[in-house]
Amino acid sequence: MFLQHLLNGITIGGSYALIALGYTLVYGVLKLINFAHGEIYMIGAYLGFILISLIPAMPPFLQGNVILMMMVVLIVAAAICALYGFYLEKICYRPLRGAPKLTPLISALGASIFLQNFVMISMGAKDQIFPQTIGMKTITLGGVSFTLLQLVIIFSSIALMALIYWFINRTRLGVAIKATSTDPYMASLVGINVDTVISVTFMAGSFLAACAGVMIGLYYGSINFTLGYLGGIKAFTAAVLGGIGNVPGAMVGGFLLGIIEALGAGYFSSEYKDVYAFFILIAVLVFRPAGLLGKGVNERA
Amino acid sequence: MKKLILLAVMCLATVACSKKTGQETGVIKIGAAGQLTGPEAVFGADMLNGVKLAVEEWNAKGGVLGKKIELVPGDDQAEPRQAVAVANKFTAEGVVGVVGHFNSSCSIPASEVYHKAGIPQISHASTNPKLTDQNFDNVFRVCGRDDQQGKAAGNFAVQKLKVKRVAVIHDKTTYGQGFAEEFKKNLGAGVEVVAFEGITKGEKDYSPVVTKVKSANPDLIFFGGIFTEGGLLIKQYKAMGGTAPFIGGDGIMSEELLKIGGPATEGTYATFGPDTKEVPSAKGFNENYRKKYGEPGVYSVYAYDATNILLQSIKNAGATDGKKLIAAIRAIDYSGALGHIQFDAKGDVKESPYVVWKVESNKFKQVK
Repeated sequence: MFLQHLLNGITIGGSYALIALGYTLVYGVLKLINFAHGEIYMIGAYLGFILISLIPAMPPFLQGNVILMMMVVLIVAAAICALYGFYLEKICYRPLRGAPKLTPLISALGASIFLQNFVMISMGAKDQIFPQTIGMKTITLGGVSFTLLQLVIIFSSIALMALIYWFINRTRLGVAIKATSTDPYMASLVGINVDTVISVTFMAGSFLAACAGVMIGLYYGSINFTLGYLGGIKAFTAAVLGGIGNVPGAMVGGFLLGIIEALGAGYFSSEYKDVYAFFILIAVLVFRPAGLLGKGVNERA
Repeated sequence: MKKLILLAVMCLATVACSKKTGQETGVIKIGAAGQLTGPEAVFGADMLNGVKLAVEEWNAKGGVLGKKIELVPGDDQAEPRQAVAVANKFTAEGVVGVVGHFNSSCSIPASEVYHKAGIPQISHASTNPKLTDQNFDNVFRVCGRDDQQGKAAGNFAVQKLKVKRVAVIHDKTTYGQGFAEEFKKNLGAGVEVVAFEGITKGEKDYSPVVTKVKSANPDLIFFGGIFTEGGLLIKQYKAMGGTAPFIGGDGIMSEELLKIGGPATEGTYATFGPDTKEVPSAKGFNENYRKKYGEPGVYSVYAYDATNILLQSIKNAGATDGKKLIAAIRAIDYSGALGHIQFDAKGDVKESPYVVWKVESNKFKQVK
């Protein structure tokens, strides 16, 4: 029973963590909460749906290999979403660089409403159902039931997180992101192209959110245009829980949020599922205002 | 800048002047409210098409009281707040009567607005008892009530399925929770309720509640709510290796449930009115609906009859004035696609039989 709840929590927590990374990366470099990020996640799920519906039209060598096919769907959907992220920043935030802090926030809300309605009009208001996919067969091991797909989701999200961690800490571009988030002005003085760094940050965040969207769509089987709202709020909570702006914090926050929800709903009442999550958030913010892994905030003047 | 402001003022003035109420422009406006967008939009479309069909038929015969009927759709998105906004928009536009809303959580707050404005509301699908228990003289419904529906589901569980352990899940809405409590009331002493859980509408992951319910080891799982969540619950429960069947109500009676839940929905029960696809009184409706909009949804015929009752009452009253119209609806003795409809003092239909349906080979079939 405990292990089952833990597994449930880790599955959903992985997707929270992937989306939360997008919030945290953008906050790191721009000190901006990108409220349209949840919609990117939703668009990722829709792109996954469109691509999977196209499978019968794909070349036969792809259709034969399920894992390869899923990889193609995931990467194509995520790449398109990275473009969404790129243009989102270029259209909605770049012209407002240097404007008062509230202005880009309102622009973010506007972008969120626009994207939601864009999907509603182009894809229809009703739920879209994913074709019954592979890996839905239940496996029971020592009293814990799970599906193959669930394992794939958990491992993919961990692999993606490892990838982003490597990217930030071990590549030149990643180090440039870190430098920009420490001090954008200083970073530009030492020759870092801050605009490029910001674009890359948005693209990386959107890439991860899209992966989460595709996996969630596959796993639960139905998506709709309002998906991004709740997903976005939960992931934002996870980012704040772990310490916004902190990359490992977002991962820890995501998993923690998923596990708290699963255990709270499982052992107490599922009616108050959201209450447990937000209660922990309040408690963390009261005792550690910068989040679990966040360092003391030194706001620049 | 000044020019712009002037332009804006002129635009506003034009809009204000062109906005006339129904009586002035020679049409009679009726409202149709439901969830036209959102995850439950299928139910909204089923309703709107039913209303449209009735209005078109009346207009083809020359309208009512010598005027054409204009249909004003209102989208409440299954949100109580939005429902009140829709109700206010309707009253401001001079709508003479309203068909809808769908969700009880929308119908109840909206009914207050209609009550204040003195215009009749006929809901095609809101089954929560509170709607008519408010004793508003202007509120009617052509569907049944959840105390009747809960009793039908409860009796079926006890007498036919002979269950001993039941788990109850609801979506925390007026409809879902109310229906769940009515169901629980009707189980009697011989049945143990092993879990009573609420879920949040709009989520995708229900694995915590499903795990909990499965470990309580029920013979039957009741769900009070709509197909969106119902389909996911059934699918996730079966994916976890659960075997107990689900039973729900009118909220899950949709082909969409079968699509969302997939093969896991096989053997799921739902309470609803009797089959209207085969009855002679609904033959004309079914044929005309299919020609225009394809296969009717389960609530299309209810919306169609509600609209016909509203329009027939306008004709009977000879006026669109709220008071006369409400009196005419109360007095109506109507034979429509659903059969014979008369309202009691509260605004409920006098007879509303609930029967049980079951999903068999991917289709809802009435349990004989």
